[in-house]
Amino acid sequence: MKSVKSLSMSYIGKRLNVNEVTKSVAKKRLFIVLKKVFLYAFVICMSYILLYPILFLISNALRSKEDLFDPSVIWIPKHITFSNFEYANVLLSYPTAIKNTLLMLIPSVIIQTFICMMVGYGFARFRFAEREILFTILLFTIVVPLQTIIVPLYVKFRYFDFLYIGKLLGFITGKPLTVNLLDTPWPFYILNLFGMGIRSSLYIFVFRQFFRNMPVELEEAAKIDGCGPFSTFIRIMVPNATGAIITVMLFSIVWHWNDYYVSAMFYNENLPISVMLTVLNNRMSMIQDAYNFSSEDIYLMGSTVLEAGCLMVILPLIVIYIIGQRYFTESIERTGIVG
Amino acid sequence: MIKTNPFKQIFRRKLTLKQKEAMYGRLFVLPWVIGLIVFFIIPFVNSVYYTFQKLSLGDQGLEFSFIGWENYIYAFTKDPNYVKNLTSSITSMLYEVPIVIVFSIFVAYLLKDEFKGRTFARTIFFFPVIIASGVVITVLKENVLGGSTSNMVASSTTIFKAENLRAVLINAGIPRWFSMYVVDIVNKIFDLTWRSGVQILLILAALHNIPKSFYEVAIIEGATEWEKFWKITFPMISPTVYVAIIYSIIDYFTDYGNQVMRMVVDEANKGRFEYSTTIAIIYFLVVMVIILIVNRVIGKRVVYLT
Repeated sequence: MKSVKSLSMSYIGKRLNVNEVTKSVAKKRLFIVLKKVFLYAFVICMSYILLYPILFLISNALRSKEDLFDPSVIWIPKHITFSNFEYANVLLSYPTAIKNTLLMLIPSVIIQTFICMMVGYGFARFRFAEREILFTILLFTIVVPLQTIIVPLYVKFRYFDFLYIGKLLGFITGKPLTVNLLDTPWPFYILNLFGMGIRSSLYIFVFRQFFRNMPVELEEAAKIDGCGPFSTFIRIMVPNATGAIITVMLFSIVWHWNDYYVSAMFYNENLPISVMLTVLNNRMSMIQDAYNFSSEDIYLMGSTVLEAGCLMVILPLIVIYIIGQRYFTESIERTGIVG
Repeated sequence: MIKTNPFKQIFRRKLTLKQKEAMYGRLFVLPWVIGLIVFFIIPFVNSVYYTFQKLSLGDQGLEFSFIGWENYIYAFTKDPNYVKNLTSSITSMLYEVPIVIVFSIFVAYLLKDEFKGRTFARTIFFFPVIIASGVVITVLKENVLGGSTSNMVASSTTIFKAENLRAVLINAGIPRWFSMYVVDIVNKIFDLTWRSGVQILLILAALHNIPKSFYEVAIIEGATEWEKFWKITFPMISPTVYVAIIYSIIDYFTDYGNQVMRMVVDEANKGRFEYSTTIAIIYFLVVMVIILIVNRVIGKRVVYLT
């Protein structure tokens, strides 16, 4: 007579007696415990490596200048002060710089995510003769950084003339019509609109890989229900791509926020926050006059104020991430199409 | 009911299903193609044109004079650092990228399952992405890792150095090249962990996209954890791993810490824009060839569901 247990075991494909079953269960439990121990040890070690610089920044930003050369101060400063943040606030023109950054960042991120998704879908799901060669060029554009083409781009946006319409008008009015788009966020919007923004090619690549892995049946069902390619894209693919969208959006926010090379090229006055950070040290004289510091003080405080500034620059990103984290992890879990 | 839109009927008659698909595909890709031509190819050709010139500041702004292949010849034969830096970046890429990828898969796999403090762990692993791409990392590298004199904390970063390990490994009879390799990696742990934030996130998203039913079937069939990983998880995330590999290679080469990139930026700062562009273009042609090889080798092994 078969017991229930041996029946269930034969279902798995092996015949085991009860003794062996308890043994294997014990083995499995031990394995789970070991895995947990290892997991926590690993996470704690990694947390140390990854949090170390942040803790270092916090510790240094809170130091007053007396603590700087005090060897007994290792992590916790003796004279905790928030004045470094106050100075950094002035030097970075924090509120204005944040406003400038957001003005550039929010439309850019939205445009970039949508356009990259569209192009990625085009590459993933349609067959046309020149697809492979275009895709190879796409890889090439990821590799060539903006540094190699930044000067021609600068000239292009200084005398912006879309599709030579201005030049055509020039034949009528006698003088070619161009617009100076520098010092506005428009270069970013335009580049993103045509899939050439900061790391756009990479996002196209990500979306292409993502869509290639989606079941074709979804689209076929939509087609039978009378959807054209564009409505299939908007109504079926976009809602199902939440995971990829959020991943890309997060990267896009972070990289637009942190970008300083392109911004420094395109802006002269309305500088975004990351460019302000690069010039922070050069602006130290601003607080020298305002707070009556000697130049020696300024020299001493240079690094602590810079570190406070660093914290203030990354703080909004960390806040966004911590708030968005929950939604973010949930969404990447929900996207799997359970069939 | 049949729609009687004359425009649509003409369309239907003229194009076969294949042609129609191709047309829609081109429409989807169109914005990017326009951008490619206007904001990439034309500026790129312009830049290449500069590499055959000598730029100088004259009375009326920049002046160009044609000097042919001079800049290229200089880069390969006269510049003492260029070829050396180029080869050393390529060789270190070859062993750093695999480590970054294996590490990212490993971490993503650990972070996938539910455990207490997972949210915290995930938040932490994203920190490198937030910080490492900006100015902040430069400040950190100078102040934290460079060991500036203004603080005592810097000395504690020696925990990331492994000078003694090499002696231990060589004494233990391990081949010299291998122990050098291990020590080199240990020295770079900080850098490598900081460089894998994006990859971890990409792979994590891919892991969550694997249908649970696949694992249910595997459990019923009696698969072990090891088999489950190699037969289900790995093939399913392979498209993303492929992205991650390409990304890592590019990230490695375009990082400001890279010697060649530093040369490019330095030369541009010196005002030798034409030479800076020349070395950048040679560099990225080389990188492109590497990526095409990787694409050939790995691209064919990637598994797509459809």
